[in-house]
Amino acid sequence: MNSPQREDTLLSNYTVSSARMEFDKFIVPTVTVFILLLLFFFMLFPLWMILKLSFFKGGELALANFTLDNFKQYFTTAYTLRSLWHSLYISGVTTAIVTVLVFFFAYALTRTTIAGKTFFRNIIMMPLVAPSIVQALALIYLFGRNGLITSHFFQIDWNIYGATGIIVSEVLYCLPHAFVILFTTLSAVDIRLDEAAESLGASPFKVFTRITLPSAKYGIISAAALTFNLTITDFGNPVVIGGNYSVLATEIYAQVTNLYRFDLGATISIILLVPSLGAFMLNYYISRKSFSMISGAARPFIPPTRKLKKILYSTFCYLIAFSIILIFATVIIGSFVKVWPYDWSLTLEHYKFPSIGGYSAIWTSLWISLIVGVVGSFITLVAAYAMETRRPYFKQVMYFFSVMPAAIPGLVMGLGYILAFNKPCYWFYGTPWIVVINIVICNFTLGILSSVSNLKNIDSSIEEASISLGGDTLSTFFKIIFPLSRVAFIQNFTYFFMRSMTTISAVIFLVSATVHLAAIEIIMLDNDGWTASANAMCTCIIVIVFVMIGILHLVNKWAGQTPAKEVPSQ
Amino acid sequence: MKKFSPFFILIAVAFLFPAQPVFSKDTVVIYTSLENEEFVEYIKQAKVELPDLDIQAIRLSTGELGARMLAEKNNPQADCVWGWAVTNMEEFVPRKMIKPYKPEGWDKIPAHFKDPNGYWTAIDLYAAAFVINTKVVEKKNLPTPKGWKDLLNPAYKDMLIMPNPASSGTGFLQVASLLEMLDGDYKTKPVEDNKAWDFLKELDKNMGQYIKSGSKPAKLTAAGEYAVGCSFAFVYSSLKKKGFPVAMVLPEEGAGFELEANALLEGARHEAAAKKFLDWALSKSAMEGYSKFKLGVTYPGMKGPADMPSLDSIKLAPMDFPWQSKNRAKILEVWSNLFLH
Repeated sequence: MNSPQREDTLLSNYTVSSARMEFDKFIVPTVTVFILLLLFFFMLFPLWMILKLSFFKGGELALANFTLDNFKQYFTTAYTLRSLWHSLYISGVTTAIVTVLVFFFAYALTRTTIAGKTFFRNIIMMPLVAPSIVQALALIYLFGRNGLITSHFFQIDWNIYGATGIIVSEVLYCLPHAFVILFTTLSAVDIRLDEAAESLGASPFKVFTRITLPSAKYGIISAAALTFNLTITDFGNPVVIGGNYSVLATEIYAQVTNLYRFDLGATISIILLVPSLGAFMLNYYISRKSFSMISGAARPFIPPTRKLKKILYSTFCYLIAFSIILIFATVIIGSFVKVWPYDWSLTLEHYKFPSIGGYSAIWTSLWISLIVGVVGSFITLVAAYAMETRRPYFKQVMYFFSVMPAAIPGLVMGLGYILAFNKPCYWFYGTPWIVVINIVICNFTLGILSSVSNLKNIDSSIEEASISLGGDTLSTFFKIIFPLSRVAFIQNFTYFFMRSMTTISAVIFLVSATVHLAAIEIIMLDNDGWTASANAMCTCIIVIVFVMIGILHLVNKWAGQTPAKEVPSQ
Repeated sequence: MKKFSPFFILIAVAFLFPAQPVFSKDTVVIYTSLENEEFVEYIKQAKVELPDLDIQAIRLSTGELGARMLAEKNNPQADCVWGWAVTNMEEFVPRKMIKPYKPEGWDKIPAHFKDPNGYWTAIDLYAAAFVINTKVVEKKNLPTPKGWKDLLNPAYKDMLIMPNPASSGTGFLQVASLLEMLDGDYKTKPVEDNKAWDFLKELDKNMGQYIKSGSKPAKLTAAGEYAVGCSFAFVYSSLKKKGFPVAMVLPEEGAGFELEANALLEGARHEAAAKKFLDWALSKSAMEGYSKFKLGVTYPGMKGPADMPSLDSIKLAPMDFPWQSKNRAKILEVWSNLFLH
């Protein structure tokens, strides 16, 4: 280490030109300002346009133009007001069902000794790889008016269109999201408490209600809030299976596209923002609390579960896994059979997409998603790094705006983008770039959260060492932080890629004659009654996402191998 | 750093994808509401016959397309519309969003199929029709309807489906034709007092669903979900060809119809290319393409598809396009208030 040669290199590193030192000082502030500007321009500005259009006549900001007419019209027209009650009802019921189901599912995976835990954990994450429309498509094939189960198996007239259909599809769609939270909570809460209570003679029921439930309460509330938010903002499932049952998201779309009422669309957007923002704030508040609880937890071994309990929990988990697999199997099989459910001969007919988008839409979606993956994971990592090296005040401001996108429904953001950027001066309007920006911003929150938690795991002494050895901010970032974050980077890339392939609501207003997207094609095909081709398009997306996850898994393994030793464990 | 090279390859690849070869062709951006099925065929033909044009197109429902154009009023993204309902087109003329253009062959088109100032030129006519699933009708022992009034029969309860007039042009022409046929004074009285609303309220009792698109009622009926789908004529013939157990009935009261027209958009970025395309879209060979699908095309003397009744044998409803266009918003408001729940 002390060889003269080494010292020479150190010295030469110390004699950086003063200009470069000056330059270095400005890097972090510049990046901070850049990220903040990005969020202001692409998140707050579109929201501001929506706010303006709903409260001011013609969207012209002037005291004389201020009006509550739009809100008055919304609340006094029976059929528009209904969408609010429908949304609250659907979201409420879905939240209750999902929270209960997922709690016991996560409990089975963390507190019992049932077999096949890895299988269950992988299966429940599956809904993430498909657009939030796959559930509705499958349910119609199974329980529709001409469904396999309802009409052909049981030969009954009952069908799933309407509220029931939306609730069932939303439940199946929200499972993985709620599961991540509850699984983390339940595996972090100290299991020794339960044991202590049991050995002191408490009945299993008492242990469950007095110890297990209360210790997981933050996780439960947080999962419920997230489910509520996802359900109330979802567009894909209600539009397919809702029939005449309108919810807020579909009502926004209907007002804008059917009646050309952009102002009422904006007004309903504001009304939708209230509950979704509320649920988000609750989640935000709770998760900060619960994370502080998790950190010090211990995980001793799980005592063998009694036989009856084991059988019950296994059956329950298999039921849930079966429902998810059934959904995917139905859509995939449905894309290959000639006429569901009459003619089961196999065909590739439905893969000749009867639309102008077709395979070019899949291609466009693929490369847009690759760009979104790279840009999204890189920007969130840079933003997280800048945030971690900022003074507390800036950090708070930046953190708040960075996590805010999760609270904004995709459809609202999309409408805001039309209102804000549809001017000749914004060259990117009508190009794929507006789609890229929109998707990156809409999914900023999770990218930031995982980048921040990853940076916290990197020992700060490494960074200090780099700086004291004369590395400037840029080289520290690229030579130390970036390589050490590669696993998180790949995870974020996967997340952004998946979201970009499957999102519907955010981009439905942004597709154009030159930009066709696969997820939107599904809606359009289904709309025209090409349900089998819609299933085929869904299958294509699912396959692409799975292939990508496979590739990244390999890359992750390979990239994570050797340097794992370098990562200091905390 | 070496270990990181896969990322840089990935980044490079991601950014290379959009760099598609630069075409020396003239771009033209087209908006259309023609059905996907026919439209894909027309586009194939257009690409062959107009080799020097790079045709970019998006297909949206009648309502979605209007909203899109309104949103882009100050920054038009499209150059022309192709096959869009005249009722909606008329609404956009006073908004100064359409530029008059008389394509080649404009003189040949009969006067009632075009705007005298050249704002729009119709290419075809499509008519409302009931598509009936013969298997379902047989199984449930239902009578075959002849016209709208037969659909009030309680036996059809929840067995009917029709498009939502707010999102579908087909749905709108069905409702508009009823408003005009069932109330002789429709012109003089306010829309909400029209006698046809009482009829529609009765019909609503049997209606299983109001659905977003105009072709879906026929397709869902063909798939066996409903007995009678209120849809339009050509979707029937394509379903029949595919082997579905379907029959078509044109309402005996008179079939509502709509003209589909082309127009040049104000602010078109590729005006020359758009004009070239519009000329083609009115040419004899393009019209021959339309006539394989549509009940009637506007080219004089050209017959519709062989498996459809000829236009002169059909009783058409007396459609009053200027009135429809002027009252479209009001009609949809009244309809939405009555039937959306």
